[in-house]
Amino acid sequence: MNRYLKLFHMEVHRFRWMLAILMGITAACQISALIWTLTKELYRRREPVPQDIGNTFQVSAPEQLTFEWAMANNQLLFILPILICISVLALYIFFIWYRDWIGRHTFIYRLLVLPTARRNLYLAKISAFLLFVFGFVSFQLVLMPILNVIFKLIVPADQRADSHIVDAISRNLALVELIPRQFEQFLYYYGMGTIAVLAIFTAILLERSYRRLGILYGVLYLSGCVLAVMSPSLLFDSRHPYLYPNELYAAELIMFVFVLCISVWLGIRLLAKKITV
Amino acid sequence: MIEVKDIRKRYRRRDVLNGVSFTAAKGEITCLIGVNGAGKSTILKAIMGLTPISGGSIHIDEQSLRPQLYEKIAFVPDHLTMPSGMKLSEAIKFMADFYDSWNNARARELMQFFRLNYSDKIGSLSKGTAAKFNLLLGLGQDSDYLLMDEPFSGIDLFSREAIANVFTSDLIEGRGVLLTTHEIGELEHLIDKAVLLQDGKVSRAFNCEEMRYEEGKSVIDVMREVYRA
Repeated sequence: MNRYLKLFHMEVHRFRWMLAILMGITAACQISALIWTLTKELYRRREPVPQDIGNTFQVSAPEQLTFEWAMANNQLLFILPILICISVLALYIFFIWYRDWIGRHTFIYRLLVLPTARRNLYLAKISAFLLFVFGFVSFQLVLMPILNVIFKLIVPADQRADSHIVDAISRNLALVELIPRQFEQFLYYYGMGTIAVLAIFTAILLERSYRRLGILYGVLYLSGCVLAVMSPSLLFDSRHPYLYPNELYAAELIMFVFVLCISVWLGIRLLAKKITV
Repeated sequence: MIEVKDIRKRYRRRDVLNGVSFTAAKGEITCLIGVNGAGKSTILKAIMGLTPISGGSIHIDEQSLRPQLYEKIAFVPDHLTMPSGMKLSEAIKFMADFYDSWNNARARELMQFFRLNYSDKIGSLSKGTAAKFNLLLGLGQDSDYLLMDEPFSGIDLFSREAIANVFTSDLIEGRGVLLTTHEIGELEHLIDKAVLLQDGKVSRAFNCEEMRYEEGKSVIDVMREVYRA
C-alpha cells in the first residue's frame, strides 16, 4: 500500500506541469471570453449603435444581464479549452505507459524491478489518470463561482439579475456534457469512460507483451469489449423486444462490469507475467 | 545462489535460449560470455522477470522470483534506467523511497568516488558518467546479488578504470556478481567463473582459477577454442 501511494504520487508529479498548463489555458480562455462578451455588451448599451447592427444582438441580450446569458453567449471559447484538455488526456492514456519505454533511459526497467507487486504500478497509473480527469472537472466547477464573481464585478448592479450557477452550466453546450445535472448520468458517463480507459490500458499491455502480434491482439480485444457492451442492445433491439427496458439496462450494466473485471484482471496479469522490455 | 535450470526462450521464430543452465554463487564473480546475440542480456532479464521464458526455472536462494526478492538482487542494465528529466539527487531519493535495502551512506560515498554532482540531470550525463551512476544505483543497495549487463560497453578508458576499481574494492565483497560481456579484456583477472554461451546454449562453464592451474589456459584461450571451432 505504501509503495502504491509512492507510485501514485510519482505519476501525479510527472504530469503536474501539464495539468497546471491545461488548467491555466482553461481559466485564461474562459475568463477572457467572459470579460470580452460582457464589455462588448456593456459598450453596446452605452454607445448608440446603428439600428440594423444592434437589432440582431438585442434579441439575445435581456434587459438585465444574467450569468446564465453570459454562459450561453460564450459557447466556442468555453468548448475550445475543454476539447484541448480532453484531447491531451486522451493522448495521455497511451503516453502514461509508453513514456516509460521510449527514450534513451527506459524507466520501465526500474519500475518493473521495484520490490512491490506490479499491480501497484497498474493501479497507480489508472488512479493517477482518474485523478487528472476528476481534477480537471473539479477545477471547472471551482472556476464557475470565480467566473460569477468576475461577472458581478464587470456588470453594474442595476444592469444585472441573479442566476444560479447550475442554470448557467446547463446553458453551455460543453459544460452540460462535462458536468451532467443528474448524478446517475454523471456516474454513467464517467463510469463508461473509466471502463474505456481500462480496456485501452489492457490493449496497450497486450501490445507491450506480444509486440507486433500484440497490436492485433489489442485491436481484437478492444473490438471484443465494444461488442460485449453493445451485445444486449444488438440482440434485443426495439424490433425484438424480449426484455423490458429495465432488464435491458441491467444486462448492459452487467456487460460493463464484465468488461471492467476482465480488463483489470488481464492488465494486471500481463504486467506480472508477460510484459517484456 | 542463483540457479538457472534449462531455461528456454523463443523470439520471432528463433530459439534465443535453448536449455541454458548454470549457477552463480554468492561471493563469486560469474561472467556470462558470448558474442552479440548469444542471449546474455536475455538471461539477465529473465532472472529479473523482465522477459518471460517459455520453459525452465530460475531460483534465487532456492526461492522463485517474487517482488520482495528485488531487495536482495540488484540489476545494473546496459543503460541508465531513470527518466532524463530527473536530477541525480532525485534518482537517489527515488531509490531510497522504494528500496528498504538502499544504503544512503554508501550512495554518498560512491557519489564522491565517481565524482558525480547531485544537481546534474540524468539526460545531460555523458555515456561514461551515466555508466558510473548506473553502477551506483546497483551498488547502493545492500543486496546479496548484483547483475550487471555489459558494464564496460562503449565507455571511455578512465570511466572503465573507475568501474574496474569497484570490482577489487569491498563494495563487491561477499556479494554474488553475475555480469555479461562480449569483450573479456580487463575483466579476465577479476572473474571467478566463466560461462560461455553459443547459439542460446552453454557451451563451456568453468572455474577460471582451476582452468589456469589444471589446463594452463586463460579465459581468452578457452574462448578461442569455443568460438573459432
